[in-house]
Amino acid sequence: MIAAMTASASTNPLNDGLRLEPTPGPTTLVIFGASGDLTRRKLLPAIYNLSRRGRLPAQFAVIGIARSDMDDEGFRKQFRDSLAEFAGVTGRDEVAESLASRLTYLSGETDAPELYARLATRLKEVDGGQGMLFYLAIPPSVYGSVIQHLGAAGLSRAPERGWRRIVIEKPFGTDLASARALNHLAHQHFDEEQVYRIDHYLGKETVQNLLVFRFGNGMFEPVWNRRYIDHVQITAAETVGVEHRASYYEGAGALRDMVQNHLMQVLSLVAMEPPIAFTAESVRDRKMDALLAVQPLVRDDDPAGTRHVVRAQYREGWVNGVEVAAYRVEKGVDPRSATETFLAARVSLDSWRWAGVPFYLRTGKRLPKRTTEIAIQFRRPPLEIFRRASLTPVAPDLLVVNVQPDEGISLRFEAKLPGTRMQIAPVMMNFRYGTTFGGEVPEAYETLLLDAMLGDPTLFARHDFVEASWALVTPILDAWAGSGGNPLPTYEAGEWGPAEADDLMKADGRRWRSL
Amino acid sequence: MEELVSSPVSSPLPGEEVPFARIAGAMVRGNCQDAGAMRALVATVVAIGPVDRLADAAEALQQVGDAGTVRGILISEGDDPAPPARVAGNTVSLIGLKPPYVNNAVAALRLSSLPTLVWWRGGRPDTLDGLAHLADRIVLDEPSPREAWARAATLFDISAFSDLRWARLTQCRALTAHFFDIPEVRAAASRFTHLRVSAGDGMTARLFAAWLASSLTLASDLTTEIEEGASGDSALREVRFGDAEQELVVHVEPGRTCVETAVSVRGHRSASRLVSLGDLSVARLITEELRIRARDAAFERALHHLLKS
Repeated sequence: MIAAMTASASTNPLNDGLRLEPTPGPTTLVIFGASGDLTRRKLLPAIYNLSRRGRLPAQFAVIGIARSDMDDEGFRKQFRDSLAEFAGVTGRDEVAESLASRLTYLSGETDAPELYARLATRLKEVDGGQGMLFYLAIPPSVYGSVIQHLGAAGLSRAPERGWRRIVIEKPFGTDLASARALNHLAHQHFDEEQVYRIDHYLGKETVQNLLVFRFGNGMFEPVWNRRYIDHVQITAAETVGVEHRASYYEGAGALRDMVQNHLMQVLSLVAMEPPIAFTAESVRDRKMDALLAVQPLVRDDDPAGTRHVVRAQYREGWVNGVEVAAYRVEKGVDPRSATETFLAARVSLDSWRWAGVPFYLRTGKRLPKRTTEIAIQFRRPPLEIFRRASLTPVAPDLLVVNVQPDEGISLRFEAKLPGTRMQIAPVMMNFRYGTTFGGEVPEAYETLLLDAMLGDPTLFARHDFVEASWALVTPILDAWAGSGGNPLPTYEAGEWGPAEADDLMKADGRRWRSL
Repeated sequence: MEELVSSPVSSPLPGEEVPFARIAGAMVRGNCQDAGAMRALVATVVAIGPVDRLADAAEALQQVGDAGTVRGILISEGDDPAPPARVAGNTVSLIGLKPPYVNNAVAALRLSSLPTLVWWRGGRPDTLDGLAHLADRIVLDEPSPREAWARAATLFDISAFSDLRWARLTQCRALTAHFFDIPEVRAAASRFTHLRVSAGDGMTARLFAAWLASSLTLASDLTTEIEEGASGDSALREVRFGDAEQELVVHVEPGRTCVETAVSVRGHRSASRLVSLGDLSVARLITEELRIRARDAAFERALHHLLKS
């Protein structure tokens, strides 16, 4: 009797004052690509951690789907191995075992209708209740096929009191046309409210904290505009090379892999106007406004886009204490590859708030250190009365939001040095998540998976945002495709990109932050 | 370190003795010498109790500091109007302070503009009156809490109160509450005939039962049994709540780190769930309490109900 009842927490008096966060209703999670890297590294550990924290419903089940020939026990073994390797679970763990018993597996080809018939049967068998979350942890080339088959099998539509949602991993398309086509296909079978386009950057604590920092405080927003801010630098640097992702990365490059999704999301959070409420639609509407204000990077007077965008590829060098090979000799990479592993761009927003304030983006592989940060550089004081007292040229105030690895916020400002003479020097005031709050910070995938089960799309990309973002970067891709034999600049692995990236800043009388 | 004064009296608490008026300066200097201590402070935690309960409080505060730097103030009551202060990093201790001056000391030593949490580990209950006006939150943690609970109940309008027994019950309360998300279960609760709560100590079990009784509309002929374990610790062991037809069960095996919830219909289990109890260390619980600012109406109702019964 109880199992068949519908959950309704709204008037439960026992929830009053409870400090625990909401738990989704009965859910079956269906993972396409269950034997893949993403599932092993991220999804299975995230499910375990959510269960450990008591954030999963009592009626919860996982159905893994992949081509690998495996049975339920094989999938459970993979689950345990994954926890041992990526979640630090050693020995017998009660939560893991309880969860393992709810895991089942279906082997099959994702383009075979019979797989979806078996899935429908399995969904009826498992005790997962009315909610179904389909997670596409599969190559983008088969997204369309899976969506189509789910629709054809009637699995995209929920009965009364139930729900169906689909999580789609990046990259969502490879250009504007393919993104539109994928959105169109998804909308044939799922309503927009059912589609969760995941960008794990949005699940990071510091990225979410940007909203709190800006709109939960009264003192920052008044100076968050062209009157006080000189420019913004957004950096996402990696030390790793292409690793085992050559087949994907060769067709993607830094522009598709990082800029179109992660950096555009971060940029929109920095640039957005205040939402009227912390609701999914209000936040996503304001982010969309910010993105629509971004000016084209390829213009009539600069058809190659070289005034605003610099791309490059790493050659051999030295990173993290070891010699590393050039991109073109990495395993799986075309020796004549023109794929960019570094990109820097100057982005302008045509809006009341940001007119005249450039946003500089840079991202790359094989850079000297792994770091992602947003640096807001303020204008200098209108009159530099302490110019003579400064030991170094008076540094403009700087606010840095560290996204990873050392999450936090720093403020650089000028201070008087102790002593009888008037001498000033820049000092940093640091707030660090790790040292201030400590504790366990949930992984981005935990946050996002839970939000998808709870039906909160705030931290997921909406269809129009994805298309607007592709609309910005597709002309660059087209310009590069038409550039023929123009040589691709290179940079030494372990350095901060090519000289052309520095020139981009120099042309504006600025320079990249030394990180 | 000219203000350091030597003391022949050994203290169970760490630190160097300094005159009260120079505590702040000693803390700043200590932090300057310890680069690791140069972190943003997030709150003041005042632990008040007998000396033997302050030593482990100091240890717990150190762990709390690992998760978010706090200024720790450790005070034991006595009859000394001006006991020497001991400073160790961000923690200051005053041993044997006359109770009427406890709130004066807290007022002088707490960080301005940041929350003050009082961790009450024992003392004269009327000391709570003055502290309630200074603290944003008072967390009670007494082995025999009845007197402190009775005093606290008169102060609910002045400060937010909680209890570590209550904090330890959070996970079990959440899991129990989850059953009642279903409207039919809520409706059935008024027909339930028995409630049995078993815990390591009787006050924990009574608090849990009082929470259910003060939150739900229960049958007037409900039989409530409180079972106190021999261990004396405040862990919940088992809750059985239902009637002849169905029973909700929350069960924690001694020594296990998980709690199991189950629904039993006519003796057959129809759904069960296993969830980690999480970290129930004192340091972790205090860290959680630091994150809460609001009054806990459910705790207040439960305590009123318990005190009346």
